[in-house]
Amino acid sequence: MKSLVTIKEGSIGHWVLRLLAAAIVVAIMLWIPTKGSNGLVTSATEALTLMSAAMALNLILGYTGQISIGHSAFYGTGAYVTGILVSKYEWSPWLTFPVAFLFAFVVGVLVSFPASRIKGVYLALVTLALALVFPNLLRWPKLESLTGGGPGIPNGDSALDTTGFNIGRRDGQMRNFEIFGWDPFGDLRGQGAIPFYYWIAAGIAVIVYLVIRGVVKSRAGRSLIAVRDNETAAAVMGVNLVATKAFAFGISAGLCALPGSVTAIRLGAVSPDIATLTILGSLTFLIIMVIGGAGSLWGPIIGAALYVFVTDRTGGWADDEAIPGVLRPFFGWSKIPPGSGIFAVILIVLMFVAPRGLVGVWKQYSPRVVRVVPRPAGVAHDAKPALVADTTTNSTPEGESE
Amino acid sequence: MALFLQRLVDGLSSGSVYALIALGLVIIYRGTGHLNFAQGEMALFAAYVVYQMGEWGLPIGIALVIGLATGFVIGAVAEVGLVRPISKKSPFAVFIVTIGLFQLLNWLSGAIWGDQVLPNSGVGSKQQQYPSLFPDQPDDFVKVFGAAIRYQSLGVLLLTLVITGLLFLLFNKTKFGLAMRAVASNAESAKLVGIRVNTVLMVSWGLAAAIGALGGVVFAGINNSVSLGLMFTVFIYGSAAATLGGFDSPGGAVIAGLAIGVIENMAAGYIGFIGQEMKLAVAFIVILVVLMVKPSGLFGTAKVERV
Repeated sequence: MKSLVTIKEGSIGHWVLRLLAAAIVVAIMLWIPTKGSNGLVTSATEALTLMSAAMALNLILGYTGQISIGHSAFYGTGAYVTGILVSKYEWSPWLTFPVAFLFAFVVGVLVSFPASRIKGVYLALVTLALALVFPNLLRWPKLESLTGGGPGIPNGDSALDTTGFNIGRRDGQMRNFEIFGWDPFGDLRGQGAIPFYYWIAAGIAVIVYLVIRGVVKSRAGRSLIAVRDNETAAAVMGVNLVATKAFAFGISAGLCALPGSVTAIRLGAVSPDIATLTILGSLTFLIIMVIGGAGSLWGPIIGAALYVFVTDRTGGWADDEAIPGVLRPFFGWSKIPPGSGIFAVILIVLMFVAPRGLVGVWKQYSPRVVRVVPRPAGVAHDAKPALVADTTTNSTPEGESE
Repeated sequence: MALFLQRLVDGLSSGSVYALIALGLVIIYRGTGHLNFAQGEMALFAAYVVYQMGEWGLPIGIALVIGLATGFVIGAVAEVGLVRPISKKSPFAVFIVTIGLFQLLNWLSGAIWGDQVLPNSGVGSKQQQYPSLFPDQPDDFVKVFGAAIRYQSLGVLLLTLVITGLLFLLFNKTKFGLAMRAVASNAESAKLVGIRVNTVLMVSWGLAAAIGALGGVVFAGINNSVSLGLMFTVFIYGSAAATLGGFDSPGGAVIAGLAIGVIENMAAGYIGFIGQEMKLAVAFIVILVVLMVKPSGLFGTAKVERV
């Protein structure tokens, strides 16, 4: 396959490309809250939240090959940890993020122990059951004093839901959301809470991305991929299966709890009826991840953007008048918005034509324009002549999951 | 005693539904080795079709036949059109396709019939209640030791046992059943001796979906209504039954399904700690424990894994 431009990895041209990509991402992220409409900012917040959850799922499913449809339970764990700590114990919402991460991490590690014995679709079955049990657990009367049972933890003062944190808030009193006395969002709060939530969601998405990128490009990440590609071979090569899976599940669950906390903060209330806390949430994360591209860092990002775009556009399509004229014959008969149906079809079709998702398609065709030649494997960054195979200085073969 | 008997019968009647769903899962697993995550939603769609037939005034017998035929067609088409071509790629692809099918059927049901609980006079349902296979008026019960045993419960249990018996005959006494067993045992060899493996697999999926559809119709009948979330938990109970009984044992699936129905009802009734909310945890724990301790289930054959 001929490509128009060929550049070496690590050369100036490659860095220009990378900086350009980063600049575009930063520009979009700044443009949305400053220039975008409130509706766009809300959608972007939604996308960032779902994206973080899908990235977390990607670590366990895309990279480690362990099928989980139970991530809505981890997501919900995060939402409830934040909700309970803020409303019942008057914590600052900021401090609940690390607690949510640690709590879900422990839950994830616990789930990983059966998972190290149960493989493939059976694990999917167990996690599916987990996702279905979780909302019932929240409704369980024995835990009602903590979770608030069926109604959950309501928005304490719904009249004031436009600014800041208001989970379980009483008497219009503002929750403290300072970090050691410093309130970084003081000005934004004055302009309403919509960009404020956006920035929280964006911050969490960046953290989740960086953590996952760090894990995937490290030794631990290589052992995850080894487990995915061939468990037996990985074990033979010295990968500790139980520890690796426990690590992957723990990190994945912990990271998935963070967007859950964001949801709790954004809605100002938590209840077992929030769709992302039920099996529908798990399916949404899975669809976003697979459509974007399982096992790629950018997959969930692309997937979430597409998902939120389509569901937003088609959200009102239960009403025939809202459908653009050209599409009316196709979707006019549907009594509910066609979003989930469209994604079901995309999911099935994609499995046939492009099982690695949209990012996979991009990777297949982008070399026709620009081809980045990776550094030869086994050569260190300073490219000293490798006369003797020196395994300790081997560099990561980068650029393959970029 | 009356309460115990009541709970036993209730458990057996919901257990029958789980058994039917589990039977469908087992038939598919024996045929192609896949776990069909869309089983519950195939049943849901068929349950909606039966509702629609009832709306059009057809008697329940004909409605049921049309419903089961719909189930059969969905299953067969899913196998031929989706699962067979994709299974050449990877098990993960099959999993994703069954999840996609799950989502698609759930959406399709909602798109055609709306997301309300049906029948519902608010959306113009002519029927008072979901078409029931058995007499289901408030006074259709018989008193045994003080427990009100509804004809519906008895009918459902009896129906499940009859279906199980028919399946047993199909598997063991007919040429087609022999072919199915041959394919389950070794598809390659079956092909060599002249069995049409593709036809067998197609019919297996159709049959499985039709049996699941029966489960869906029966469950909607017990529930007196049908709604989009109807089969989520039933599917988990059915999978728990298939896991407990062994994924390749139809008899095991039925016994385990009935057992789980009874255990679940008894646990919710007698152990106050569990209550109605945590009934589903019973299914979760069954799946988890069986898969960890004895992955082949109680009646299944252990799989030997070659490395």
